[in-house]
Amino acid sequence: MGECRLYFRFLRMHLLSGLEYKGWWLMILQVLLTCVLDPLGTILMFARFGSIGPWSMERILLIYAMAVTSFGLAESFCRGFDYFPMKMIRTGDFDRLLLRPRSLFTQAAASFFHIHRLSRPAAGAAMILWCLRRQGIPLTPAHIAMLIMALAGGFGVYAGVLVMTSGIAFFTVKALEWIVVFTNASYQVTRIPKEYMPWLLKNLFTFLVPMLAVSYYPATVICGWGESAWLGWLALPAGGAFLGAAVLVWRVGVRHYKSAGS
Amino acid sequence: MNKTAKAYISLFKIRVAESFQYRMAAFSGVLTSLVWAFVDVVAFTAFFRYGDRAKFAGGLTLEQTISHIWVRELLLFLQPFSIDDELLLKINNGDMGLEMCRPLDLYWHWFARSSARCIVMFVMRCLICFAVGFIIPGGYGARSPVSPGAFWLFVPSACCAFWLSSAYGMLVTAVRANIAWGDGPMYFMLLIGQVLSGGYLPLQLWPNFLQPFLLLQPFAGLTDIPARLYIGSMPLSEAWLGMGVQLFWSAAFILLGKRILSCRLRTIAAQGG
Repeated sequence: MGECRLYFRFLRMHLLSGLEYKGWWLMILQVLLTCVLDPLGTILMFARFGSIGPWSMERILLIYAMAVTSFGLAESFCRGFDYFPMKMIRTGDFDRLLLRPRSLFTQAAASFFHIHRLSRPAAGAAMILWCLRRQGIPLTPAHIAMLIMALAGGFGVYAGVLVMTSGIAFFTVKALEWIVVFTNASYQVTRIPKEYMPWLLKNLFTFLVPMLAVSYYPATVICGWGESAWLGWLALPAGGAFLGAAVLVWRVGVRHYKSAGS
Repeated sequence: MNKTAKAYISLFKIRVAESFQYRMAAFSGVLTSLVWAFVDVVAFTAFFRYGDRAKFAGGLTLEQTISHIWVRELLLFLQPFSIDDELLLKINNGDMGLEMCRPLDLYWHWFARSSARCIVMFVMRCLICFAVGFIIPGGYGARSPVSPGAFWLFVPSACCAFWLSSAYGMLVTAVRANIAWGDGPMYFMLLIGQVLSGGYLPLQLWPNFLQPFLLLQPFAGLTDIPARLYIGSMPLSEAWLGMGVQLFWSAAFILLGKRILSCRLRTIAAQGG
């Protein structure tokens, strides 16, 4: 409980200090524009080439939007882990967290917060609702429950990726760019209809990083594309398990921390 | 060669030597580029093979599109993803004041520095990724240019693109030097550049009615114009137009960048102590 209060106090502080910059609203606009433009390539391709069999634009964008929203939530509320390698390890600022008698995890998670990052989940959620409407799928309580659960699981997956990156950062800070494969590049994979997805990509994003478990499978249950329903309900356990594994990596990292600052 | 030019060249060399030290980072970058290109290639293949209207789509062929994706990875170092991180730091922490004490023109000094960074990325990441692209089988890999002539026009066009990219990077840096506005305007400018360069989607697959605008706007020169020459979707006889567009916008960006920076320097506020 105390940790939770601490987390939100940190967030409030970062929020207020961010608002001091004259151009803060421009950042919101910019991230919003980034999110709106990101699927532009896909939309223009559908406009030129038409649907791929049963895979209409609304279907593909729904899966995409579920992944993006999850990523956006993780990125907004675990921003500290996103910045962790460069702004905490490399500078040696992590030392300061160690001196405080509070949970390291909470402190690291709340060490940064940027209001403009919320644009991504907002845009993603709007896109989910739009796609469901276009397909004529009503928002019944069961569907809403499935959506919330999928997004919670998705938050777990992407927060897990960020936490795991931070854990690895205790050993190396420079060679971390490949992590983009599991963040910004991962949701690009959802643009490929499942039948045409190469074996490697499909398994990588189902079993190693369960990104499809929190986007494709819940979407198919909501819209009824003929996958069995229990696969959709796996979103939350899969996300939870992945986050759990990530926390273990993080703990190992913390134990090996040797200060780097001057 | 006069002393000033020598100073710029040695600045360039220092930066290159510095950046070459991070080999693991480069490996990591190559891997990321490969995955990104692969996902795009698979997605485009699905559209070209199974799209309902694929037969009447026009624009580019699948082979051209795949080549375009690999050329994009080859020219990735020209994409305006960010400005030079060291310059950004200097602007933020007030070291910019120190930079002004040097007997060098600040604009060209920074120009040399930030273009050096690009060269490193080209050698350590883009070139390697492109080479790996060549050995990928099954029609997914990179292809050679459509003709020798295309290659010999692609090279100067890519050089123009390098010039254009550095000029645009400096324009964004000059705008960023206005600290009170934070990062907002900078990211805005970078984003527009990325989208309109053809990095998201080859410009010739955009709606047909936009085509004249897309060719003449400044950012086509970053990726799309060299790529068109490489994949043969721009007749070689029109190469002069493409390179003319690139050079025109480079000159415009340099003039504007210099102007904004000099206005900025007149009322500089150094941050930090």
